Amino acid sequence: MFRLLNLSWLRAKRWLLVGLLIFGLVSVAFTMNNQRFYRRPIARVVKTTPVGHPRRVSDQFQNIDHQYDQQITAVMMNGRYRGQRVQLSNTYSDSRPMDQRYQVGNQVFLSQVRRHGKQLTANINGYKRDTVLVLVAWLVIFLLLVTMGKAGAWALTSVVVNALLFILAVGLDLHNNGEHIMAIFSVLTIIFAFVSLLLVLGPSKKMLATFSATVIGTFTALGVSLLVFSWTHERGIYYESMQYVTQVPRPLFLAETLLGSLGAVMDESSDIIATLFELKQLEPTVTPRQLFMSGRNVGKSIMGPLINVLFLIFMADTFTSSLLYIKNGNSWGYTFAMNMSLGTVQSLVSGIGIVLAVPLVSAFGALLLGRRTK
Amino acid sequence: MTTITALGLVLMVLMILVGGKQGWSAFLSLLLNFGFLYFAMVLIAFHVPPLFVTVVTGVIILAITIFMGEDDLRTTVTAFYSSLIVMAILIVFIILIEHWAQVQGFGTEDSDDLEGMSILIGISYLKVAVTVTCLSTLGAIAEAAMAISSGLTEVLENHPTIENDRLIKSGMAIGRQIIGTTFNTLFFGVFGGFLALFIWFAGLHYSLGTIMNNKIFVAEMLEILISFIGVLITVPMTAWVMTRRRSHLVDRHDESNYDKNN
Repeated sequence: MFRLLNLSWLRAKRWLLVGLLIFGLVSVAFTMNNQRFYRRPIARVVKTTPVGHPRRVSDQFQNIDHQYDQQITAVMMNGRYRGQRVQLSNTYSDSRPMDQRYQVGNQVFLSQVRRHGKQLTANINGYKRDTVLVLVAWLVIFLLLVTMGKAGAWALTSVVVNALLFILAVGLDLHNNGEHIMAIFSVLTIIFAFVSLLLVLGPSKKMLATFSATVIGTFTALGVSLLVFSWTHERGIYYESMQYVTQVPRPLFLAETLLGSLGAVMDESSDIIATLFELKQLEPTVTPRQLFMSGRNVGKSIMGPLINVLFLIFMADTFTSSLLYIKNGNSWGYTFAMNMSLGTVQSLVSGIGIVLAVPLVSAFGALLLGRRTK
Repeated sequence: MTTITALGLVLMVLMILVGGKQGWSAFLSLLLNFGFLYFAMVLIAFHVPPLFVTVVTGVIILAITIFMGEDDLRTTVTAFYSSLIVMAILIVFIILIEHWAQVQGFGTEDSDDLEGMSILIGISYLKVAVTVTCLSTLGAIAEAAMAISSGLTEVLENHPTIENDRLIKSGMAIGRQIIGTTFNTLFFGVFGGFLALFIWFAGLHYSLGTIMNNKIFVAEMLEILISFIGVLITVPMTAWVMTRRRSHLVDRHDESNYDKNN
């Protein structure tokens, strides 16, 4: 892999590298000095002193933790007190679930800034995290464009366009007060699939075939799952355990599941269709049956890893709260039901979509390509 | 029967119908991965160091996903080695980033769910966050490594004498083909699951500045960005591991062909 860094390669990509480095420096420097654009007061920690002794905390479940107090001196970085010192106090623990230990150089958001005689005091209201976010995002863009070139640029565009569409759909959903959420996100799923495939594959017959197969696969999976839902009366699905819910949970959950599986089904469909098109090109007389069988062969080797990709993403997100449940004296079964059941359902529904897409896509590709020979 | 059991049965039957023996082993790999993920959580709850649990569970999950997903040893061994190297690099990177970003544990948006809970459990949530981020990227790394490695095995089969430079170039070309759809898989996988959170943000009119510094949002974004980075390093890494291991492939499987070609 080090041969990739040879001179001719460096020369060809010189301007791209320089441009990306400048772009990165400018954006990171901006996030480090953008305090004036925030309405909330921000201060930079210049001194921290521990106060008192650590306190031992324990609960009825024999969890033992320690809490520490610290006195913080910080300098205001925006607003009318800019440049003045402010006194803050902070409490943190060993485990730090919702608190944190502040160190010199950290930037924090403040609330309730007020003057006590000569002294300015305030409450800490969060840590400034935009710099790290922008830096990691820049690193992704850098690696993507440098190693993947044009394909990387299209992948980036498709992710950005999808993010914008996503924001638009959320706005539309709120505009309708959460009604017709399934309708909105079903239409959105179709648009998402169309736009992403257009950007990744370009306008071609291949793209249209992949698109149709994706849409059919995703919605068939949802249909099958809904049948299973009604057949089992949704026993063991605890919608009340859903996080961050501000609207009716059930349709919201279904919309989440639909969107979650869409990417994976698209991934698989485009792999299968690409192979079928290649086969057709190599051997124009190939029969629909042969095409179907090779589509199935490609599909069955990618479906396992793909289901695992989604499964690990969905389940890892439930890890922290499950740990908390276990440590609060709940049984393993209750912990699973309250934290992991929705993630499991989501993984299973997506899995069904991914598996169903294999024969559907293969049949679709076989009919499309096989027919034209006759 | 609960819905989860029924959906699981449907998935199992479909996987066997579509994939035969391979489908069955893929289904088993899903069950085993679930078992090890849950076991990892229980171990951490018993105060086993989270970093140790991460490394052990990570290696096991990679092995299960790769070796049970595909039978061809030439493909799987290369994919396994390269994904191990990528995981090692990522763990170091994740530790650095998580320490900087401080996105462990829970955000203020979780307050409702935490009511009545004792959250000071004496286990570092920061270390748990490293575990979570690392485990969530493993699927994507394994998948990308297998795609590149099986493509390159095919290239080596057709052109056993290809130069290493060309082999790496082929690896990058395969990477270019999969990168767009892989990014979409990860994007929808992560963002789809957080639709509710985004509706919350928009409904309560969070400003852009608030969202960019919000603990949960930053945690999610870092998770997806780190998965992207994982996939991006996997592509050249797998191609490089393939150049190191190609002699094994030729010796073991294509000895007769190789002799004829020379």
